[in-house]
Amino acid sequence: MAAVLEPYIYEGGIHRHTLILELLEDLGGYLIQKTPAATEVTLIMLIPRDDVNLVEQLAKDLLGKLSRAPLTGTDIAVVSPTLASHHLPHSACDVAEFLRRGGANTTMIGLARGMGRKVALSADYERKLINEHDIALFSFGTFRDCIINKKPKLFEGIKIPIIVTGGPDLKTEDVPGADMYIGNIGRVSHRLRHSDEIGSLDVMSQKVEQVVEKIREDIARDPLAVLPARIMKEVQEQIPEIESVYTPAPLTLQLDGLRIKLPYVEFHKKIENLELQDNIHLVDVADIKPSKMKDYILVKVKRKSETGIEI
Amino acid sequence: MEPLEVFKVETKIPEEAEAYKSILSDIISELALANSIGRIYVIITPEESLFQMAMILRGSSQLIKTSDFADVDVGAVTRNEIQIVLRDEKYLPDLLEKLWVKYGRGKVIQQDRKTINVTVDHIDKDIEVIRDMVIFDPKRTLLSRLVEMAIRGTPEGFRVRYHSLNGNEFVFVASEDPMKDEWVQQGHQMLNQLKGEEALGSSA
Repeated sequence: MAAVLEPYIYEGGIHRHTLILELLEDLGGYLIQKTPAATEVTLIMLIPRDDVNLVEQLAKDLLGKLSRAPLTGTDIAVVSPTLASHHLPHSACDVAEFLRRGGANTTMIGLARGMGRKVALSADYERKLINEHDIALFSFGTFRDCIINKKPKLFEGIKIPIIVTGGPDLKTEDVPGADMYIGNIGRVSHRLRHSDEIGSLDVMSQKVEQVVEKIREDIARDPLAVLPARIMKEVQEQIPEIESVYTPAPLTLQLDGLRIKLPYVEFHKKIENLELQDNIHLVDVADIKPSKMKDYILVKVKRKSETGIEI
Repeated sequence: MEPLEVFKVETKIPEEAEAYKSILSDIISELALANSIGRIYVIITPEESLFQMAMILRGSSQLIKTSDFADVDVGAVTRNEIQIVLRDEKYLPDLLEKLWVKYGRGKVIQQDRKTINVTVDHIDKDIEVIRDMVIFDPKRTLLSRLVEMAIRGTPEGFRVRYHSLNGNEFVFVASEDPMKDEWVQQGHQMLNQLKGEEALGSSA
């Protein structure tokens, strides 16, 4: 049984940050994402629970900051009804930024025809793309009537948990089809920076964490055959081409899989044959499909009950 | 009329009106319209997919002529040149545009930042023409900004629109459904109400 891993974010100077990476490797943790920005670096990591204090100590010595990132390893689709200035960038982008601070990977999705009341609809392609993620967060507007009676038709065909943000203070039960409703984040035309707005975003982070926690519990009942972070490490070790992928997060972790940002046609054989343990290849424990996002590869890990394997 | 002396937004649920007012005031300040709008009254009825707005603009600013921002005098008489010396560079692009159209690019020479020489046929007549040339109409950009504000302010998807601009009075109605006469009439009633507040002495 693998050690229990805890998600953390390290923010600090780029100088000597490799010491953290070395320590992490020695402890058997995983580096999920590394974002250098000028002289600073942000590391998102999974650290074995018992050894967190070692990393914390080192971070302190390096004058960096280590904080828990409960949304690490989640891939959240932030869906806005359209790309027009009515819905973007304000509120939806602030929501996404707050989720990223919690460690999540976010995809901003603007629907082609999600605007209005009667005319709002989503396309098959959009629904499939949203369903690739762990959670769909819909960013709605100001009017109670729209959120309760009209916009929920955008949820049709969405199979993953749905979180809704909007202006009015509603209960989750009031919004049909939503797994969580978060109020006080409606349509605005300015950046969310007032203290009450930031407060609402904090509440949102907490509520999203609750949803994530619930999904994790569901998964724990019938565990994944292999941890997505483990697959990530194997890809990094066995497929050197991933090093030359320059998109942010070339390997995007999800709660039950990962997105590999390499062309499907060229690489899916290599991914399928990825060796995890003696005679166990990735194809034995996961579905490997073309992603709806560009030409990337989507890996969804099967459960232990289905494969009889737990690595 | 003071800028934004009346700014009313109404919906069935008061908190929603408050939220929408903040959206509209952000848009107004983004488009730098605050000084141009005297009174504004908006009613939103989401249940009917209806957005109605009435507005009274403040007195329109004057047209800008060349003589308002530049000295126009005789330059080199032998070459039939008129010299324009700018006091304010703000309108230079509009001025050049107009001069190019009227005299042709070859005859309009910009000597330096603030000096333009124009070769003309009849110096005396053309000096007057250039002095009185209308270079900039503040109303023109105002109108386009007003339209922009109406479109940004309306909930997206309300694509059936009615608008009327009569002097300083602007009425805008938008919906998802085919436009009804009564909605337009209501819009004009809202405008009348705004005008009525003038007599009463208004409050925001």
